[in-house]
Amino acid sequence: MPGLESSYGVDSTVENIGRLPPDVFAETCQQILAHLQGQSSVVDLPKICDIFQRAGIDLEWKALQSIIRLLSSNFRTAAKNNLTADQLVARLGEGSRHWAKAVLQVVHQLWSEHGSLIHTYQEAHAMANIGQMVDMQWKLGMAVSSDTCRSLNSPYVSLLLKVADTSGEVSYKSFEMTIPQFQNFHSQFKDISAALETV
Amino acid sequence: MADADTVKSLNGLLNGIAQKVYYNKSEITEDLLKNELYPDLSPEEFHALHEKMKSLVKSIASADMDQAQLEAFLTAQTRKQGGSGGVSSEQAAALSRFWKSHRARIRESLAGQSRWEPGLRGLSWRVDLQTASSRGEPSGNAVALVELELGRQGEVVIQHCFCDIISTSSLPVCTSTSDSDFVCLEFDEGKVNQVLKKMAEIQESIDSIVNKS
Repeated sequence: MPGLESSYGVDSTVENIGRLPPDVFAETCQQILAHLQGQSSVVDLPKICDIFQRAGIDLEWKALQSIIRLLSSNFRTAAKNNLTADQLVARLGEGSRHWAKAVLQVVHQLWSEHGSLIHTYQEAHAMANIGQMVDMQWKLGMAVSSDTCRSLNSPYVSLLLKVADTSGEVSYKSFEMTIPQFQNFHSQFKDISAALETV
Repeated sequence: MADADTVKSLNGLLNGIAQKVYYNKSEITEDLLKNELYPDLSPEEFHALHEKMKSLVKSIASADMDQAQLEAFLTAQTRKQGGSGGVSSEQAAALSRFWKSHRARIRESLAGQSRWEPGLRGLSWRVDLQTASSRGEPSGNAVALVELELGRQGEVVIQHCFCDIISTSSLPVCTSTSDSDFVCLEFDEGKVNQVLKKMAEIQESIDSIVNKS
């Protein structure tokens, strides 16, 4: 299975899932499905951690990540291929023989409810890898001098964007702008704002 | 008495130095400059002249001299005696003219050289209108798609015929030299307003620095 840590194989992850209380498992799935449906820009890892802690489950961080990745990857594939709940459950069974019946029942129920909506949403967003900007930090700096120029005195604006891509993975993009570039950037966003308002 | 040819050659030499050192035109070699501008000088004589002019240009650029500093610097150079010789008044005049016309571009080049983070190469956007939704959400939600092109800045000068170097200074053209990273982001009105708010903060910060200095 792609995207799994080598330290946690599919079987051990599936076994971990089997040991979870059913409501915790259901809530975890809900978080993931909410993200796939576009209701949140990221899979809320801290929130899921919280759910686990409140239920008194002590699971290593990496194990938790493996669970989320496994579920997320399967749901996404199911959405992409427009699988029915039966087909999804069958696919899970092919991946590992260790799935608990109760777990599969929860998956079946949730997918029956949300599957087609997620399929539609994912299709619409599959066109380009459109991300969501989760956060933006800025810095105004001044390059004072360098080895090629002792008197540089060049101000610049540096931005750090926290971006969540369509799979919910977060990445950081940073870049620099000169002051005139920044002002152009600013004025373009003003244009965007005006365009959004008039639509 | 300023000889028209001497002035022309000097201008060409300084121009050529700028092209090579600051505008990344690596085809401009010392030999090329000598053959075009000072064919009558011996290689050693030309080399000495070239090095002296290059070193002066670098000092002026590195200190980003203003008018007063430049005058003081050139005056000191013309008074210099000794092995490497001072700077003639023609050369000083040529340097002064050169710096006036090239200062901004050279500074931009130096600032660009010290920029190691990716820069913003381009920004394009469009606004989409959501016309229908399977979940029965109210339609008519406008969404902006913004594509940022990020990458390391590289300056590549378009090939000009050599006579341009003597007569005018060709403008360096900024083109991409490394692969761009395209980041496509979706913004709704709320998000755009958040971004605008931050930008206003940045602008405030810029203004306060400008006012201080």
